Amino acid sequence: MLMQKIQVYRSGAVRRVFEFKAPWLALTAGAVAVFVAIPLLYIFLRAVGADETAWQRLLQTRIWRLLGNTLALVAAVTGGACVIGVGLAWLTERTDLPGRRALRWLLALPLAIPAYIGGMVYLTLLRPRGGLIPQALEDLFGQQVATPSPLGFWGAAFILTLFTYPYVYLLSGAALRSLHASMEEAARTLGRTAWGTFWQVTLPSIFPGVMAGALLVALDILAEYGTVALLRYETFSSAIFVQLAGRYDRSSAAVLSSVLVGLAMILLWAELWIRGPRRFTQMESNWRPARRVALGRWRLPAIFFVAGVAFFSLAAPLGVLVVWSFQAFTDGQVLEAVFRTGSQGLGSFVWNSLWTSLLAAALAVTLSVPVALFSIRSPSRVSRFVSRFCQVGYAIPGVVIALSLVLLVNRLLPFLYATPLVVVMAYVLRHMPQATRSSEAALYQLSPTFEEAARSLGRTPQQTLIQVTLPLILPGLLAGGSLVFLTSLKELPATLLLRPPGFDTLAVRVWVWATDGFYIQAAPAALVLVMAAALALAFLLHREPIINEQG
Amino acid sequence: MSRVDIQNLNKHFATAEVSAVNDVSFGLGDGKILALVGPSGSGKTTTLRLIAGLERPDAGVIRLNGKVVAAEGVFVPPERRGVGMVFQDHALFPHLTVYENIAFGLRGRKNAEIRTTVNEMLGLVGLERMAGRYPHALSGGERQRAALVRALAPRPVLLLMDEPFSSLDADLRREVRQQVRSILKMLQATVIFVTHDQEEALYMGDLLAVFHQGMLEQMGTPEQIFHSPETPFVAEFMGASDFLEGRAVAEQIRTEIGTLPQPAPKGMSDRVQVALRADDVDFVLAAAGNGMIVERLFLGAFNLYRLRLDSGQALHAFKGHTEILPIGSRVEAFVCAGHPLAVFEDGNGVGGR
Repeated sequence: MLMQKIQVYRSGAVRRVFEFKAPWLALTAGAVAVFVAIPLLYIFLRAVGADETAWQRLLQTRIWRLLGNTLALVAAVTGGACVIGVGLAWLTERTDLPGRRALRWLLALPLAIPAYIGGMVYLTLLRPRGGLIPQALEDLFGQQVATPSPLGFWGAAFILTLFTYPYVYLLSGAALRSLHASMEEAARTLGRTAWGTFWQVTLPSIFPGVMAGALLVALDILAEYGTVALLRYETFSSAIFVQLAGRYDRSSAAVLSSVLVGLAMILLWAELWIRGPRRFTQMESNWRPARRVALGRWRLPAIFFVAGVAFFSLAAPLGVLVVWSFQAFTDGQVLEAVFRTGSQGLGSFVWNSLWTSLLAAALAVTLSVPVALFSIRSPSRVSRFVSRFCQVGYAIPGVVIALSLVLLVNRLLPFLYATPLVVVMAYVLRHMPQATRSSEAALYQLSPTFEEAARSLGRTPQQTLIQVTLPLILPGLLAGGSLVFLTSLKELPATLLLRPPGFDTLAVRVWVWATDGFYIQAAPAALVLVMAAALALAFLLHREPIINEQG
Repeated sequence: MSRVDIQNLNKHFATAEVSAVNDVSFGLGDGKILALVGPSGSGKTTTLRLIAGLERPDAGVIRLNGKVVAAEGVFVPPERRGVGMVFQDHALFPHLTVYENIAFGLRGRKNAEIRTTVNEMLGLVGLERMAGRYPHALSGGERQRAALVRALAPRPVLLLMDEPFSSLDADLRREVRQQVRSILKMLQATVIFVTHDQEEALYMGDLLAVFHQGMLEQMGTPEQIFHSPETPFVAEFMGASDFLEGRAVAEQIRTEIGTLPQPAPKGMSDRVQVALRADDVDFVLAAAGNGMIVERLFLGAFNLYRLRLDSGQALHAFKGHTEILPIGSRVEAFVCAGHPLAVFEDGNGVGGR
C-alpha cells in the first residue's frame, strides 16, 4: 500500500488507458470479490443475528470501556507517529542533517520488527518487578529505583508508536520529495517567513501523504493484538481474542467484531473525506528539489532526536535480541529447547512461516491480477465496485478474519478445518488489498502505447496480455507480493486462532515463549523473523525513490 | 515610485564551473517592463531569483526604491522585499482555492479589504466564476492568470515573472501575452520577466536585456537591440544573423556582395564581419552572379531563401510569398538594408551560420 500510494500520488490525474474487455475477466474478478467479501458479510450477519441479550450485556458493560480504550490508543499512537514520522521525513529530506542516505534506510527498518517483539523486549527489560533494568539498578543501589513502566496505556502507546511511525515517515517523505521548490518560494514572495511557509504551505501540501500514513497506522493499531495483550491494555482486538480463545463465546465475539470493523470503516471513510475535493498531484515539468535548510545550532538537537528514535525503535530491540540469542546458543539447555520443542524445532517454525507466507503472497497476487485488469482496463462502475470490495480486508483485523473463518470453514468446508490452509486463507483475505493496489498501480502506470503497439503488430488481446502486459507489470506484482509476504510473516492473532494444534510458525513460537517468560529462548526465533521481514522490506524499499535517489 | 537598481551583481553556484551571474548592473524605473532574454543557462533566471531574494548574491548590491535589500552583510529575506513573483510552473497552492490563493499574500489586512482586493483581482483577469475552484480544475490559461493576480494582489513594488508563458501552447500564449501586457500597463506595474523567446521579448518588453554566459551583453529598447546590436552574440541571438566578411577601406566596407556605404567603427582593424539578416539581403536571377539558391522555405507571408555564395558563405534572404524561384538557380545577391548594418571586428567570437 505504501508504495502504491506513493506511485498513484505521483502519476497525476485521469489518463488514457488501453481497454481490454472480456467476459471471463469480469466473471473472475467478480468471483474474487465474492470470495473476499464473504467473511466480512458473514460477521455482520452473525452480529445482527446475535442474541439480543449478548448485545445488551455488552452494551451495558464492556463496549464503552473498550471503545474508550481503543480510541485513546489509536489517537495517541497515530498522533505520535505523525509527529515523529513527519519530523524525521523533514529532517532527512529537507535539511543538511549528516548521513541522510543511510538514515532513510535505518528509519524505515522498524517496519520489519513486529510490535509484539518490541513489546517483549521492553517488557523484559523494564517490567516493574523483575525487569532486567530495575533488577540491576536495585542490585547496584541496594534499593528500588523508579523506572518507566512499559505496562498499560502509556507503555503500549510508546512502543506501538516506535514500530508504526515508518508508515508516516515513508509516505510523508515521498510527498516532501515531490513538492515543487517554487511552491515554497511563492509563499516567501507573498510575505511568509520560512516558519510560516512550513505551516501554511509545506505541511498542507504533504497532508495527503501524512494522512495516508496515519490511516495505515490507525488500522494497524485497531488490529493489534500481541503488543496490547503483552502490556495488559485491553482493546477491541484483544477482547475479541479472549472471547474466542478463552471463553468460546462466539456471539459476543461477533458483536465486538462488527463494532471493530465499523470503526475501521469509519477511519477509511474519514481519510477520504478529510482529503475532500483538493487534489495534490502536481505537474512533473520543471520539478526542482527545494533547497536544503541549514540546521545551524539546531544540528545537535536534530541529531539527538533522530538517533533517539533509531535507538529505541531499531538498535535497542535488535541489540537485545542479538545478545539474548548469543546467550541462548551458549546455554546447552536453552539451545536444546530452541531446536527441539516437543517434536519440533526452529527449522520447522521457519519452514512453516515461510511456506504459509509465500503461498499467501503468491495467491494474493494471482487473485489480484484479474481484479486489477478488470478495474483498470475496463473501467466502469461495476469494476470500480469490485476493486473497492477487494480492499475491505484493510478494515478487518486479524482476529475478525479468524473468527469469520472459524465459523465459515466449520460450516461450509469442514475438510479444511484444522489444516494450515485456513491460516493461508486468512493471510490472503487480510492482505489482499495490498496486492490489489500494487497490481492496479503497476497497470495504471503502464503506458497504453505498449499494448497498442503489440496489437498493431498482430497480437490478439490475450496474446498481448501474456506477452506484453504481464511481463511489464511483473516488478509491481513482485512488490505487492513481498508486501503480502512481509505482513503475513508478522501476522499473529489470526495465526494463533486458526493454526492446527502443533502447527507453529516463528510468530507463534516467539509469542508463546514470550508470554511464558522464556525470552532468551524466544530471541533466536524472533531474530530470524525480523531478518526475513527485513529482507522483504529491503526488496520493497530499494524500488523507492525516497531511498534510492542521491541527496 | 518603484525602482530597482542592481550593481555588479555576482552569483556562483558551487556545482557549476562558470559564474551563473557575472558582474551584472542595470537599473529599471517606473512602470517599465524589462525582458531578460538569452539562451538557457545564461543567468537570466538567477538574476530574477537574486532580486526576489530566493538566492543570496556572492557580491553586488540590489536596491529596491533606493533601499538596499542585498549587499555585503545585508540580506532582506524574500517575504520582506515586497516583490511579487510569477513562477514558471505557476506554483498555485494545490490545497487552496483560487480565491484563497489570491488572498494568501494579503494576510494581516482587514477582511473587507481582502474581499474587495481579491474580487477586484479576479475581475481583472475574468476569473470571478473560478474563485471557488482548486487549481487542478483550471485550464492552463486560467492558472496563468490566477498566478499573475496572486502576485499582483499585495501591490508589489516590483513584479517578477519567470518564463511565465512557457507552459502554455502557442495559440494560448499569444492571447494570454496580450491580456497580461495590457493589465500590467493599466496597473503601471514595474516588471522584470525572463524569456528565452526573442519574439516574446520584443512583444512584451519596453526594454530588453540580453544575457549570455552570466553577463549582460546589452540593454536597450527593442529597436536599439534589434537595429544596433553591440556584440555579435546579440546580433545572432536577436534575429538570426549571418556574418559576412568585409574589409574596411576609407569610409566604406567592401564585401563579397558589394560595397557598404558606412565606415567601420573607430578603433577596429580593417578586417570586419558584417551582420546580415534575411531582410537585409535581396537577389536577382543572374547567370553570371555571385552565388546560387540552395533551399527555399515557405513561411506563409514570406519565402526564405538560403543562398550559397561562391566563396562558400551562406546567406539568407526574404522574398514575397509569390516569388518562387527554382533551387539551383544562379543569382546575384546584394545588400538592400536601407540602414547602417552592425559591424564587428573579425575573429571576435563571431559564429556564422
